[in-house]
Amino acid sequence: MAESDQFNGRLGLIFASIGAAIGTGNIWRFPRMVGANGGGTFLIPWLFFLFVWSIPLVIAEYAMGKRSRTGTVGTFRIFAGKRFAWMGLWTAWISTAIGFYYAVVSGWTLKYFQLGISGALTGDEVDTTEVWNAFLQSPGQVIFFQFVVILLVLGAIWKGAKAIEKVNFYLMISLFALLFLTLFLSLWMDFSDGTLDGALFMFTVDFDMLFEPEVWINGLSQSAWSCSAGMGMCMTYAVYMRKDEDTVLNAFTMGLANNSISIIAGLAVLSAIFAVNPDPLATVTGGSSAITFLALPEVFAQAPGGSIGPLFMMAGFFLALSFAALTSMISTVELCVRNFVDHGYDRERSVLITGIALFLFGLPSAMLWIKLDSSGVAFPEFLEVQDHIWGYGLMFSGLFIAFSIWKYGYVKWRKEVDAGTAPAGFSGYLGFGVSAFRDDFINTGDNDLEVGRWWDVLIYIAFPILFIVLMGSYFLDMIANTDDVWNPSNPKGLSIILLFWGVVAITFMLLNKYLIARPLYRNIPEGADVDISALPGGDDDMVVELGEVVPGFEHLTQETAIEAELVG
Amino acid sequence: MTTAVSSPYVQRTPRASFGYLICLPLLLSLFSPVAGSAYVQEVTGDTPDDIWSSDYVTYEFPWAVDEATNFKQYHTYDSMKTRMMRLAEDNPGIASFHEGLNGGTNTRGQETTEDTYKGWYYGHASPWMKITLGVEDGEYNEFNGDAGNYADRQDVLVVGNHHAREWMSYEVPMFMIETLIWSYDEIGYDNDGDGLVDEDPWGDADGDGILDDDGDCLRLDPAYQDSDGDGVACGPGDLGVDEDFSEQKLHDLINNREIYIVPMLNVDGNRYDREEFCGPTAWENCATSGWRKNLRDNTLTGITPLPDLDEQVDEGCDGVDLNRNYQFEWGAPLGATGPLIPGACYAGQNNDVYNGPVDTVDQDNDGRLNEDGVDGKDDDGDGLVDEDWLGGNSEPETKFIQDLTEMNDDNGNGGSDFPVTLTWHSFSELILYPWGHCQNCDNPDQDQLKYHGDVMATMSNYENMQSSDLYPTSGDFCDWHYGLFNSYCYTMEIGNAFHERPENIDDILLRNVGMGMYMIEIADNPKERADLAIANISQQNYLKQPNKVDIPPEGDIPVDICVSSLFPYSVDNSHIKWRQVKPSRMQSDYGPREWSYTDWESAKVMLIEGGCPLAAGNGTLLRAMLPISETATGELHYKAMVSTLGGADFYQYPSDGSYYTLDISYRAAFGSLFGALFMFSVVATFVWGGLAVALRIMLKGDGEKVFEAELQAEGA
Repeated sequence: MAESDQFNGRLGLIFASIGAAIGTGNIWRFPRMVGANGGGTFLIPWLFFLFVWSIPLVIAEYAMGKRSRTGTVGTFRIFAGKRFAWMGLWTAWISTAIGFYYAVVSGWTLKYFQLGISGALTGDEVDTTEVWNAFLQSPGQVIFFQFVVILLVLGAIWKGAKAIEKVNFYLMISLFALLFLTLFLSLWMDFSDGTLDGALFMFTVDFDMLFEPEVWINGLSQSAWSCSAGMGMCMTYAVYMRKDEDTVLNAFTMGLANNSISIIAGLAVLSAIFAVNPDPLATVTGGSSAITFLALPEVFAQAPGGSIGPLFMMAGFFLALSFAALTSMISTVELCVRNFVDHGYDRERSVLITGIALFLFGLPSAMLWIKLDSSGVAFPEFLEVQDHIWGYGLMFSGLFIAFSIWKYGYVKWRKEVDAGTAPAGFSGYLGFGVSAFRDDFINTGDNDLEVGRWWDVLIYIAFPILFIVLMGSYFLDMIANTDDVWNPSNPKGLSIILLFWGVVAITFMLLNKYLIARPLYRNIPEGADVDISALPGGDDDMVVELGEVVPGFEHLTQETAIEAELVG
Repeated sequence: MTTAVSSPYVQRTPRASFGYLICLPLLLSLFSPVAGSAYVQEVTGDTPDDIWSSDYVTYEFPWAVDEATNFKQYHTYDSMKTRMMRLAEDNPGIASFHEGLNGGTNTRGQETTEDTYKGWYYGHASPWMKITLGVEDGEYNEFNGDAGNYADRQDVLVVGNHHAREWMSYEVPMFMIETLIWSYDEIGYDNDGDGLVDEDPWGDADGDGILDDDGDCLRLDPAYQDSDGDGVACGPGDLGVDEDFSEQKLHDLINNREIYIVPMLNVDGNRYDREEFCGPTAWENCATSGWRKNLRDNTLTGITPLPDLDEQVDEGCDGVDLNRNYQFEWGAPLGATGPLIPGACYAGQNNDVYNGPVDTVDQDNDGRLNEDGVDGKDDDGDGLVDEDWLGGNSEPETKFIQDLTEMNDDNGNGGSDFPVTLTWHSFSELILYPWGHCQNCDNPDQDQLKYHGDVMATMSNYENMQSSDLYPTSGDFCDWHYGLFNSYCYTMEIGNAFHERPENIDDILLRNVGMGMYMIEIADNPKERADLAIANISQQNYLKQPNKVDIPPEGDIPVDICVSSLFPYSVDNSHIKWRQVKPSRMQSDYGPREWSYTDWESAKVMLIEGGCPLAAGNGTLLRAMLPISETATGELHYKAMVSTLGGADFYQYPSDGSYYTLDISYRAAFGSLFGALFMFSVVATFVWGGLAVALRIMLKGDGEKVFEAELQAEGA
């Protein structure tokens, strides 16, 4: 039997998941959302949706991955049934497509760390716009840092779970430390004029704004994106869970840790900007990269402590940002690689292929359509269009997870109804269906915390409603505010999004039959609870444990086995 | 651990199809459409392509669906009518399509039906459009079949193609229809694609004597400055001149006026000109000739008049000049041909200005025939005015204009509701105002009519003159409208040929359309507008500029208008229009900053003691308080809409149809200490407290398990 891969300690999983969850979104998106949505007012919906959207979804992801012991494609194949393996492909694709340009963005953060530590951002005469434009308009530089990022990531995941665990652990610990350092300097700056107005703003609730739907929608979107809930990251890392891992506690820990980092980063960024900027709100309501690469270097340059303070602050902040980006990149690549490995490809080759694809398909984002906006600031339009197209595809991944749960509950409930042990009718399904998933896969006895009926209610009711609200508000907003929104040649329009989604979804549905014709190898640690017989994909002969031989595919097994031997 | 033996028989190639197929979607990323994006480019070059979008440079109009709607070839009657119907169907809130009138009992007590208004020969009624906001929701006029009547909106009548061969005279009103309807929902459109919005409206908006307000035509290489080839560099119709008007202004006009546009009055004549007389490429063989009149049958063979499709048109004899057929001062054969005796017509005698048959009805039944013709006077001293006319308005087309005008009485004052009327003709590049029927005779509004004509002359570089100074005409459209209803009426003689070459259509339209829009704008009170402008009073008023506005630390933002003490302002009807531009709350992470615009709102003005400085002394200070939230950031756009006691409501400042922009920064306090402390403790409890609890449970559990594992290890 081939060797299965797993994390050493419980903290390994937690740190890997936190690393996936904490990305640049926590550090550059959260502060501006707080700024644009009424300061402390924003924290209320943001926290609310952590418990209503993100954590329940992460619980489901952990539970599914822990049972299926495969990546996203396999998980959907097992949980939603053969015909729905393409949903896993969609989930993997969204994450990977985001990864294409995210590697470029991660490169920016590395470059700014380099600029920060070399003192190039702290002089008296530095024009941050010039620095930014010069960087973005030299494709060689951008591509170089993108390449470095991909190399670092490949190095980190080359050897599988244990390496991922280690890298994430050190990067996350450093990230905490660096952010605290930045926070300390920020608060010092803010307090030097006698008031902590940045901190005050961040924690003061404006009750008028609390009743604005937009604040709630933005709270939901921030919570959904920042936690990576629905992206399949947690599903992927759950493959490496030890057998007795507590899915619920892990989900809470991860979600709360994610939000903790957001608060620290938010406080650091807002305090620093409020300390020196005469109209801080005009600044923090701009786009993310504008705040981070234009406003913050200017602000940090005015940190106390002579020339050392600014240097520390600049380097510390951008290093923290790079780490956040790197750990997210790691999970992105791992998600993709896991799917290849599940289907019998050897790990190292998969890592290499994914890395090359990331680099090549990231190139357009790095160099195409670098334009100047009306205030003379460069921005990468191709990259922005990619973000525009794939960003909201994430919502469907979340919906697919809910769908799998609904479906499992439905199938199980039908059987029970036929056996006369469950009530018929729609209310019968509501009472029985999702609860069955919860009993079978979440509250498995390994948990310190048991999930209650509240989770069923969220998956049944809150989930579809929130999905519709978020998608609806996004589309309506786009229709109202975009010129020529239906023109398919408008890269910021709606038609282009629907077109790309449609093409990808249809392609994947057509690929489905190729997917399920291949064996699926589950990564099962010793003694883990692996029974999938009750699941829609449970009777599939092609779904086997790693190392088992599927008739007609012997070559795959042997290859994997050789690999395992070499590793061992 | 399993060992496996490497075997030479192992196939190392997995099925390729799967691996490649899964990569397919990756390729998608490379095929994001390569489309233009709206970012601002620095303008440095001196060719048109350097400055403007290629659509603008080649006059590709944004609404165009084919060559005719792109104004690269002429509409025919059919394609014009189809397009009008399409526009009405697609824009039901602001435009409705009509043909002729329903009929009924008109103001003269005559019974009419819809057939009354159909051409003698082909049998079409003149198609027309009504454009106003809520065009189906106003008062319904059963006679006219028009449901878009509002007592508080001034009406404007625009008529084209009295004369069949003057093809540009229906293309201009079609262009007005397209521009008005399209602009309604395109506020802030960058017409020329140079990144600026509404920077060069029609005419000399900034009053510096230069038509090209934004100076972009003047920046061109001289080789490009006369794009319409009329010999005038950067004149009207040239690229870059008056090319970016304010859609907002047209939007407001549609909301506040009832616009009646009859692009092709003389359908019979036009069809005959195109289909029989000159042919579809009339510019080749009929540049300065063609069929002019309608198709009344003046010959002996027909019982006159008779719809006679079977009978050939007698080109030497048939037809009435519609623009000599209106009743006012009809029959004075100045520039017209007196009535023919039926049957006295013979081949070869072409009466191109025949004004129609003599009336044969004793309208007042007093036994005397035609003793009091239409001239606004009581000719026979019987106490009745114009009650038994000589003739005129005998044709379906002129009856249509007569009844459309006389039956359109929203405000119930017994007269026409058209303070302004306009008719397009060609050619000669002239603007003509009444009178036409008499020479060296001033009209009662001579100065005012001349003033507006002069303004339009600067827009088009045409010559402005009294109609009869060109040549006297009796029974024309404008004498009738002005003479009977005091409507400010202009006859535009556009272009240099009856049948212009198709490649000149767009140039001529662009040169003329602004005049049509100007007429619509001044319809609220054309006389008062002229008086105030002639006395240079309206030009003295000003709206406070952004750099002079004091933003208070809290509360509403005051914006001042200073008006001349001679200006008859109305406090009740004047207001400041404003909107906010806010940074979008959901910004794109990587793109340029996104803004959202609020709708325009109005803030009432109030009179403030103390006055304000004007060039000509002390002015009156009007102030509006704009309710801008203290937490707002972004921009404030504002403009003044000053109304007069006389009812003119469209004095807009800044006067070029644009608005001022004021930067708004956050003015509120950043927070309160106690509220913040409370919120902080709540968040800290939830997030950090929760995290601490979770970690404690986890580490406790983990510790136990590690302990168990160690025990097992020891046991083993």
